[in-house]
Amino acid sequence: MDKKLNELKARLQAELRSVQDSEVLAQIKNKYLGRKGELTNILKEVKNLAAEEKPRLGKLANDIKFELQSLLDKTEKIVSKPSGAGVDFDPTMPGSRREEGHLHPITLVQRDVEEAFAQLGFGIYDGPQLESEFYNFSALNIPADHPARETQDTFWLENHNLLRTHTSNLQVRMLEKYGAPFRGIFPGRVFRYESTDASHDHTFYQLEGLMVDKDISMANLIAVMKSLLSAVFRTKVDVRLRPGFFPFVEPGFELDIKCLVCGGNGCSVCKQSGWVELMPCGMVHPEVLKFGNVDPSVYSGFAFGLGLTRLVMMKYKIDDIRLLESGDLRFLRQF
Amino acid sequence: MYLSLNWVKKWLKLPNGLSAEQLALDFTMSTVEVEKIIQQAKNLENIVVGRVEEITKHPQADKLEVCRVDVGDSSLQIVCGGTNLSKGMLVAVAKVGAKVKWHGEGELVVLTKAKIRGVESYGMIAAASEIGLVDLFPSQSDHEILDLSAFNLKVGQNLSQALELDDTIIDIENKSINHRPDLWGQYGLARELAAIYKINLKPYSRLPIKPQSKDLALKVTVEDTANCYRYMAVGLKNIKIEDSPWWLKKSLEAVGIRPINNIVDVTNYVMYELGQPLHAFDARQIDRQHIFVKGAKKGESFVTLDGKKRKLPEGALMISDQNKYIALAGIMGGQNSEIASDTSQIIIESANFKASSIRRTSMDLGLRTESSARFEKALDPVLAELALQKAVEIIIALNPGAIAASEVIDVSHSPYIVKIIEVSEALINQRFGSPIPTKEIKDILKRLQFGVNHRAGKFVIQVPSWRATKDISIAEDIVEEVARIYGYDNIAPTLPTVVLHEPSYDIASSTARDLRTYLAYAQSYTEVYTYAFTDVGWVPKLGLKLADHIKVKNAVSPEQSYMNLSLLPNLLKKAEENMRWYDHFKIFELQRVFDKNSKGTYHIDQQKNKFLPRQPMMLAGVELSRVSGEEAFLSAKGLIESLRDYFNIDWQSEKIDLPYAALAYQIKYQDLALGEFGILDSKLFDSGPNKVMVAWWQLSFETLLKYINENKSYSALAKFPVIKRDMSIIVGQSVAWQDIESEIYKVSPLIKHLEPFDVFIGEAIGHGKRSIAYHLEFRSEERTLASDEIDDLMKKIISNLQKKFKADLR
Repeated sequence: MDKKLNELKARLQAELRSVQDSEVLAQIKNKYLGRKGELTNILKEVKNLAAEEKPRLGKLANDIKFELQSLLDKTEKIVSKPSGAGVDFDPTMPGSRREEGHLHPITLVQRDVEEAFAQLGFGIYDGPQLESEFYNFSALNIPADHPARETQDTFWLENHNLLRTHTSNLQVRMLEKYGAPFRGIFPGRVFRYESTDASHDHTFYQLEGLMVDKDISMANLIAVMKSLLSAVFRTKVDVRLRPGFFPFVEPGFELDIKCLVCGGNGCSVCKQSGWVELMPCGMVHPEVLKFGNVDPSVYSGFAFGLGLTRLVMMKYKIDDIRLLESGDLRFLRQF
Repeated sequence: MYLSLNWVKKWLKLPNGLSAEQLALDFTMSTVEVEKIIQQAKNLENIVVGRVEEITKHPQADKLEVCRVDVGDSSLQIVCGGTNLSKGMLVAVAKVGAKVKWHGEGELVVLTKAKIRGVESYGMIAAASEIGLVDLFPSQSDHEILDLSAFNLKVGQNLSQALELDDTIIDIENKSINHRPDLWGQYGLARELAAIYKINLKPYSRLPIKPQSKDLALKVTVEDTANCYRYMAVGLKNIKIEDSPWWLKKSLEAVGIRPINNIVDVTNYVMYELGQPLHAFDARQIDRQHIFVKGAKKGESFVTLDGKKRKLPEGALMISDQNKYIALAGIMGGQNSEIASDTSQIIIESANFKASSIRRTSMDLGLRTESSARFEKALDPVLAELALQKAVEIIIALNPGAIAASEVIDVSHSPYIVKIIEVSEALINQRFGSPIPTKEIKDILKRLQFGVNHRAGKFVIQVPSWRATKDISIAEDIVEEVARIYGYDNIAPTLPTVVLHEPSYDIASSTARDLRTYLAYAQSYTEVYTYAFTDVGWVPKLGLKLADHIKVKNAVSPEQSYMNLSLLPNLLKKAEENMRWYDHFKIFELQRVFDKNSKGTYHIDQQKNKFLPRQPMMLAGVELSRVSGEEAFLSAKGLIESLRDYFNIDWQSEKIDLPYAALAYQIKYQDLALGEFGILDSKLFDSGPNKVMVAWWQLSFETLLKYINENKSYSALAKFPVIKRDMSIIVGQSVAWQDIESEIYKVSPLIKHLEPFDVFIGEAIGHGKRSIAYHLEFRSEERTLASDEIDDLMKKIISNLQKKFKADLR
């Protein structure tokens, strides 16, 4: 009977939405609340109910009757107004909207992420995209013959310069400039020498983070990432660390988040594992601190690299990375 | 890298009830990422051993036979086209439900009962290629079925069980073990599992080599001692090249290697067991059995055993005899000395080469092999000895009569010394964020076979040789070893407690952020992101020269080989593309450009005396519309005026001549050019029959940042009323509004505001004339103005305009 009553209410609401004149309204009123109306019929059934159910359902039926009555009254007031008094135009025409501009989806997501970090006292910094071998590699403990250089396919320019392969190029630049303690993020454009397809592009966006202070620990890294990612995704996020190797951190980790689509039960997004690989991170390598003129016996810190482009694609369910730099307004006007 | 569970069971017993999935997860959480799990038996489900009992000709097809096959519990009728079919043959029967590859090609398909040319067939007598066993059973022709008669097998048994192809293989991503040379062999993987599960690991067993003769007078001379850390070799005779035994074949199959013969297979087997690559030479081909290790000279070439002639990079590490090269050290052997079917004497090399030397040659040649992949990780020189001993042990076991027939050569120039690392307990606890029991730390390190001494709050740790080549070198490495086995999940998250420090305000990022929002939401511009590679088609159209652009050495395509010097080429390209969909739009971009010819402020290294090219942040926009030139231009001008208020910079605009513009203005502040705006020459756009107007603007964001004026103060609201009047004048068409305006303001400081609201050109007012109507606002700061006072001012304005511009009142 609960179901019947609620269904009745929903049906009435739907019918009232399209009522234009009082004649139709009167018919509806009769259909529901009349002497042989639907509600009246249901109310009659109350007396046949089991004694213990009677009081509760009786009350529910009366409440709904009252609600329906007031809905009808309200509609009556609107309908009974002399039509179009003082209005000589068609109010159902679409509203006139002013032309709107749109921010790029990467800008939108970057703003959200920046805001979350700013609240924890992280500054936002920018730096060169055309970079030297030194800051992109050597200062990050990746010397000339290191195989890690090979795994980051690089666009080379003249004079051993290059297009930065990651936003980590700013780690040492920022430490040189600001020293320790330091807390900052560096969002921006990075490049990899690779051919493009729906899921790879030679150009994408990252957001590097660096925190250096006294006594910074792995426990801190996990906690900060957990809070920040919860803020970014606007929901409580579970994270896990597992070993990952990057020459500029020690220990190094891959950070996974519990799949937000299935809640960790396994689905196609997380390839049935319950976890999604989100970002590499780790405790800043003492060599990197030294390059930044920071004394590793006094300070420690953590660094992480969030894939902004990947986050944007996850958030808006974009299945072709190339759309982001297509400049196609049919795409951009959706944001 | 494949981890074979059957293989590692030689040295340890995995915990009871441990599933492959759990093992993969534990390995991922403590060591390296597991890609996938492969169950060998899974692909052989519903495939059993059968015996062919009866063969009759297919009534409808010449090349097919109808067989009765005993599969243990029943006898099946199967249509088959195998050319080698014979009665009594043991075969692999794929029953209905089995997964097979038709003729060894394409995807796996599930077998169903079928009618083949009118005769029912309940399954298939499989060829090796059809059930994925072609590496183990190479066949002469496509039409040959797999003949299992040589094996002693029970009819009806599952094939995977019968052939012991029931391994579980854990596929580990190669990239994630680049830093772990010890994990490139099964024994190293077993050691890791033993540490994770706290189980015993058997020591690695091998027999010492006992030379029985000196028939092979083997000699080794290492010339390039900087790149060859250790070279071991031994000669063996009385070898008979044959197929390998089944246990060896199936072990190689499990890790994805194709069996070849009983010598090559042993070298591969030991490489997969220990991670140490070996090479076997045919001793006949080595002049006087004297081996040299030396660098290649410029211009030399060498034919590797894949038959390819390769140009050698200068200094590439080579193995040679007195006359010729015989191997590309650590990468691939030579065709001239490879094992042949009639080889009877061999020399086995087990060496340790410098990682970077092998890596460089391998990269220069574009030749990567299982061997080079291992050497470039920096292998433990101790392995060379273990591997040589193991290989000789197995070869002698497989070749009755084979003996070691030379001295065991061992030339060592290893740079590695025993590595001792001191780590304070305090450091470990600090990095964890909470105290870890001393016993736990010690226990983990011992399980990983580190030598551990603990005294006075400090661990003195000896790194095992297989971790000491590059992987473990500092205290932080020890922290990682303890933490990964302890389990990162067991560390309780704690937010840091830090001292607050003064906020540093980065005007660039906050201004960029606000500006983007302003342009999108207040000025209706849509933000686009474009590549850093400039559109080469638009470069000359805008009067730019490619020579002034920074060139990418290894561009993905010729069209994407120059870096943006201006944002406009790409923006205009995007505008062109969007013309297909929209008649009117406004787009902007805020991004860096790259200036080859001027020095920036970012230094290239810590010498701080050399600088990267300047890469200023630029802001540019394009508005495309199908309106008059006047409307298009005024729209861009209006935006520039709004931005002037937005930035609060009192800049001026000055008309300039640009070859690609129909009309252009430069934006200047104190003689400094900030940017320009205008409308483009419409010939630059191929817009079809309907002409488009393209207005553009660009500003140097970097320069703007220096002059943004954030000091705004409010002006007191007017105390006395404004008096409004309108006026309409007719002037010659060449008279500019700007001049009229300044003439009017000159009349009196009481004139506070002027605003044109109507412009008319037409016969009614005479040829070459223009009428302009405008609102005037008068106001005094001290009193209410009287009407006659205004009348006088109006008269004065008219008379001045008449004098100056021959204006008439309309």
